[in-house]
Amino acid sequence: MSASNYILSLLENKKIISADIVSDFIKAFSEDKENISLAEQIIQNQNLIMMNFKLKSRIEDIKRLSIPLKNGTVGKDFKSVINYDDLNLSDLIFTEFRGLEEIGLKYNEIEDSIEGNPIQSGDHNIQLLFRIDGENEDSELNIKEFSIIINPDPKSLWKDIESDKNDPFWKDDNVSTVDIVGEKKIVIASKRGRSHANVGSFRDDDFAYKYFNNSGWTVVAVSDGAGSYSLSRKGSEIACNAVVEYFEKHSDIDLHKDFEDKLLEFDMSRDEVLLNEIQILAKKNLYKATVFAHNEIKEFADKLAIEKPELFNNPKAKSPIDYFHSTLIFTLFKKFDFGYLVLTFGVGDCPIAIVNKDKTITSLMNWLDVGEFGGGTRFITQPEIFHSESNPMATRFNFQIFPDFSYLFLMTDGIYDPKFVVEANLEKNEKWQEFISDLEGNNDDKSKVNFNYANEEIDIELSKWMDFWSPGNHDDRTLAIIY
Amino acid sequence: MRKLPVYLLLDCSGSMMGEPIEAVKNGVQVMVSTLRNNPQAIETAFISIITFDSSARQIIPLTELSNFQMKDIQATGTTSLGEALKVLSNSIDTEVAKTTPETKGDWKPLVFIMTDGMPTDDWKSGLAEFQKRKTGIVVACAAGNNADSEALKAITDNVVSLATADTQSIGKFFQWVTASIGVSSTKVEDSGKEVGGLNELPPPPSELNIVV
Repeated sequence: MSASNYILSLLENKKIISADIVSDFIKAFSEDKENISLAEQIIQNQNLIMMNFKLKSRIEDIKRLSIPLKNGTVGKDFKSVINYDDLNLSDLIFTEFRGLEEIGLKYNEIEDSIEGNPIQSGDHNIQLLFRIDGENEDSELNIKEFSIIINPDPKSLWKDIESDKNDPFWKDDNVSTVDIVGEKKIVIASKRGRSHANVGSFRDDDFAYKYFNNSGWTVVAVSDGAGSYSLSRKGSEIACNAVVEYFEKHSDIDLHKDFEDKLLEFDMSRDEVLLNEIQILAKKNLYKATVFAHNEIKEFADKLAIEKPELFNNPKAKSPIDYFHSTLIFTLFKKFDFGYLVLTFGVGDCPIAIVNKDKTITSLMNWLDVGEFGGGTRFITQPEIFHSESNPMATRFNFQIFPDFSYLFLMTDGIYDPKFVVEANLEKNEKWQEFISDLEGNNDDKSKVNFNYANEEIDIELSKWMDFWSPGNHDDRTLAIIY
Repeated sequence: MRKLPVYLLLDCSGSMMGEPIEAVKNGVQVMVSTLRNNPQAIETAFISIITFDSSARQIIPLTELSNFQMKDIQATGTTSLGEALKVLSNSIDTEVAKTTPETKGDWKPLVFIMTDGMPTDDWKSGLAEFQKRKTGIVVACAAGNNADSEALKAITDNVVSLATADTQSIGKFFQWVTASIGVSSTKVEDSGKEVGGLNELPPPPSELNIVV
């Protein structure tokens, strides 16, 4: 608008003139030099006000705009690029970010990115100090506040609280052992899971083994106490020890002798009919061991229920033995001229597998009690497993002969869940080869178990290997390897 | 990795305007930052937000806690709870993995519904869809006097109510949701079992009344 027009419209607004009638006097007034100059100043100031308004409202818009930043995690390299063009921020003149350094981040001006290795978790407040095009170079800086989320390092969240040593059923949080069993060696490690360490509860897993020097048999048992039953850590302990004790002391001597005689006879004759008889005898003997284990726990449970009734207050439990719910797997093996005779039993979700000498075949020795939605497992403490029609007890035993083997594995679900994920993978030799390669050091931590017979530290190595990190898998872990 | 999916269905109808909607927003923020510090939750819990007003939409797809960022929500319109249940059903179909012989599926989803009014749409058809899905525990919260706890009772046996839809009560509800998600994630990691009923969740605060 020209200055003289401005004067005319001012007079019109003040109702001094009307738009269509302009007298000579008014015309001259509107073109007066001094008036023109004053009007020009007004117009200039108006333009300045408008420009200021635009700048300020633009700054407000920028302050309200949300800048999408990724979330970071403590200890994990972080980089989040700010695309100023996509955000329509090309008029922004960046000066600096505040609040980044304290959390281990910095701004990379070349790549327009916030990056670094976060050191502090939380919802952090970040400030962006900026000017926009059109603002004076010495004008006060504008501050845009926004937040950046840094997650804690999940590993740092787990507490390691010692279990109560005064508890009557206390057991070591961590145990490992290495031993010679005939011509083979055995290494076993069992450790409390992080979920138990986090709340100071006990290891529920257990194991026991024995090499019988006089007969050449080896027995190895592994058990997993059910987490939701308060005395299961004692159940798993009794179950494993009972199996060893049964073959040590209670195994029917006649049966034992008959069995051994028949085996020696088979060793010479290789008679298949005889082998079948042996198999039946073997399974009978194993069956007795499982009944013995069940009864040992039951006896202990019934006695404790009378002595300390206050321990038995779980409405879900129907009888004292339920408080001791534990899975159980065990193997008995011995070397003959015809090879290794391997007998197994399993109830629950813990696998036993044997890998042949040249590692081309892996045989899963037992089927697993697993349900569609977890919790489908069975326990040695359940009387119904002994007379189940859908899962006959007889199918829980296995009897096989192998010329030799490289590894015989027994493990709890604390190992099987993270390493094999699903049951179907236990049938695949390649998955077992991956597992062996993992044990040999092919893992993120470069943690290695050296299976050389001369290695006497192997139990420590195995225990260390078992510290592997697997999100969502923090159960107790027990792994027995005969090699 | 087996996810523990958690769906939050939030009423954003006009009656929630002001204090209630701000309290809900804040409740979700506090919930997420608390759960981020729970070692079991941060590894297993995945959160999704479905909002409903005159229509319903999933504003945040099922997202692992470490990547979760809350979005702004506004209160406006009516109460399309039925449509929200349909959106939830579709989300479960596409986001929750089923168990196959080759993979372990996710845990059954936990669902928390919060509303302060009566459903204004055909909620029974939404409910029919929802009932075809396998879910874990479903909790519905009737916030304030105008909520229709009868409709919520039809959706789930686990209905709780807040006497008033104010900042403190809504905050307490979210604290309880937070603790419940924490307990559920511990349970699935620890014992491989899911939470079966309200009695296995932490006791609700005094502000929450269980509707029977």
